[in-house]
Amino acid sequence: MAYFIQLVVEGFATGSIYGALALAIVLVKRATGLVNFAQGAMAVLATFVAFGLTQAGVPLILAMAVAFAFAFAFGAGVERFVVRRFEGGDPDTAVVATIGLLVFITGVAALIWGYEPRQFPSLFPLQSIDIFGVFVSVRSLGTIIVLVVVMVLLQTLFRLTKLGLAMRAVADNPQSAALSGLPVSRLLMVGWGLAAILGTVAGVLVAPQLFISPGMLDFALVYALAAAILGGLDSPIGAVVAAWFIGVVENLAAAYIDVIGNDLKIIVPFLAMLIILIVRPEGLFGRKVVVRV
Amino acid sequence: MKIFLARPAVRIAIAAAFMVLFVVAPLVSTPFLNYQFSMIAVFAVALLGLNVVMGYAGQVSLGQSAFLGLGAYIAAYGVSHDWPISVVFVLSCVIPAAVGMLVALAAARLRGLALAMVTISLPIIGVPLAKRFPEFTGGSQGTTVSWLNAPGWSGLADDQWRYYVVFVIAAVLFVLGRNLVRGRIGRAFAIVKSNEAVALSMGISPYRYKVLAFTIASLFGGAAGFLYVAIVQYTSPETLSFATSINLVAAMVIGGSASILGTILGAAYYIVVPVLAGQVDSTRTALISGALLLAVLFLLPHGLVSLPRRIVQLVNGIRRRGRSTVIDPPGDNTARGTAVEPESQEQTQ
Repeated sequence: MAYFIQLVVEGFATGSIYGALALAIVLVKRATGLVNFAQGAMAVLATFVAFGLTQAGVPLILAMAVAFAFAFAFGAGVERFVVRRFEGGDPDTAVVATIGLLVFITGVAALIWGYEPRQFPSLFPLQSIDIFGVFVSVRSLGTIIVLVVVMVLLQTLFRLTKLGLAMRAVADNPQSAALSGLPVSRLLMVGWGLAAILGTVAGVLVAPQLFISPGMLDFALVYALAAAILGGLDSPIGAVVAAWFIGVVENLAAAYIDVIGNDLKIIVPFLAMLIILIVRPEGLFGRKVVVRV
Repeated sequence: MKIFLARPAVRIAIAAAFMVLFVVAPLVSTPFLNYQFSMIAVFAVALLGLNVVMGYAGQVSLGQSAFLGLGAYIAAYGVSHDWPISVVFVLSCVIPAAVGMLVALAAARLRGLALAMVTISLPIIGVPLAKRFPEFTGGSQGTTVSWLNAPGWSGLADDQWRYYVVFVIAAVLFVLGRNLVRGRIGRAFAIVKSNEAVALSMGISPYRYKVLAFTIASLFGGAAGFLYVAIVQYTSPETLSFATSINLVAAMVIGGSASILGTILGAAYYIVVPVLAGQVDSTRTALISGALLLAVLFLLPHGLVSLPRRIVQLVNGIRRRGRSTVIDPPGDNTARGTAVEPESQEQTQ
């Protein structure tokens, strides 16, 4: 039983990392209506900024703060100078532009820091604590708590602040929002900036485990995409719940189903997702879109 | 210029000139170039399939690499067990097509990103499966085969012989694909892409045509897998990875969505750019490819195939700016609009 709980907690922790990236994808999707394949690469670049600063002797917390500021500016800049060009055009072209960004940003990170994976300092101490006979690593608990805090902050931002209201208005109907005097262009930039910060949270959380390299989040991006779509793409809570679901199911399947093992564990959440999507095409938490003909 | 190009005789002459070029080229070029040209043909077939489902029928597919990889594994398995080559070819087409149809039967009622997700999961599931069953796939190392060597009577080198085989098959598939998208089925795809409700009201079932589009796409994907093994003589889980799918989608949009010529340009882009970028600076391949991809999209949002039209537009723009000290004549705009029209129509057909 203790082993089972440990597996579940580890699953939640991995799921939290996918969840942070999935939140970023959902935020961008809501703001500009496109799926950003470069979300992971942007996060890695910002994480590298934190890495560079810690190498130079800056304390980790301060380095992370600078990395978040960089991520915000970079995300806003990408929206303004790259994505803006493709908004309102063919959606396929816009998505391929983000693929171009993915390749390009990975190239930039590799140019500066190389492809070699490097050690990244951990935010949490590397020890386990004993909770009622179950040993849980502080890192896992910390990761889960960070994600929950991030989610609460995000919900507060969107539900209780004027900025959040304005961003929801722009996501809902850019034309009407512009007509009622909202600075749509700046709000879109804020949306992308916030998403880039969320991605960086995922990057900083996962870097100590995976070691930092330009392709570090490529795989997590697939999971995050899956979580975002499974959650319904519109719903931040849905994305996080779906990400946890994927993390936990994957971990349990690897441990308890012998045929599956570690190499095939990725199949289980994806098959589950296929079945869920076929039964509920709008995702677990998505609204059914009714289109007027 | 445009009218001159539109004449059937001129078009046939151009096509004939290209055919002669394709036939003569391998005899005089290096094995390296022949390999690259053959690879362009291989990926042109895979992209043609992707273009049928994404460009023509408007259904996002991020799983084309899975069918490419499946076709390649079947070809490699068949060849290493000495099955007749025609049987191998048919199986490499039919099995991926059947798998694609099964997936589509379940998934085709999904729309947009839900559909994208289903297609993403094909390579994601495919790669670990391929690694798990090494007796069929060779595991992580992949399978190497040796076949399709030039027969003695031909007097050709292996690379030349393989080039011809791949080119003939690819050409036949392209003629089939072109007729398909220009015919009744292609028109049905166009309606399903633009408005499913209208399609329904015209008695065209969007569901059935989406399944058909996916089936055709996976058939072409499988065929491309066969051709891939013919040229590379090797396949591994890398072939069916998600990254390959993403790059295929990028190449399709770069070439030109819903365009046969664009498909070929996209394949050329897919093969040539990494090679060139690697030659410029092998440590900066990603940087250069990414920058180039963005640059092309910025300048040509409709793909490489729109380059002539874009040049005409820019030239007209400069000309008009020269005259604009007088008045920008409104008639000029409409004239330009109609001049562009036939070409864009031709692409959507």
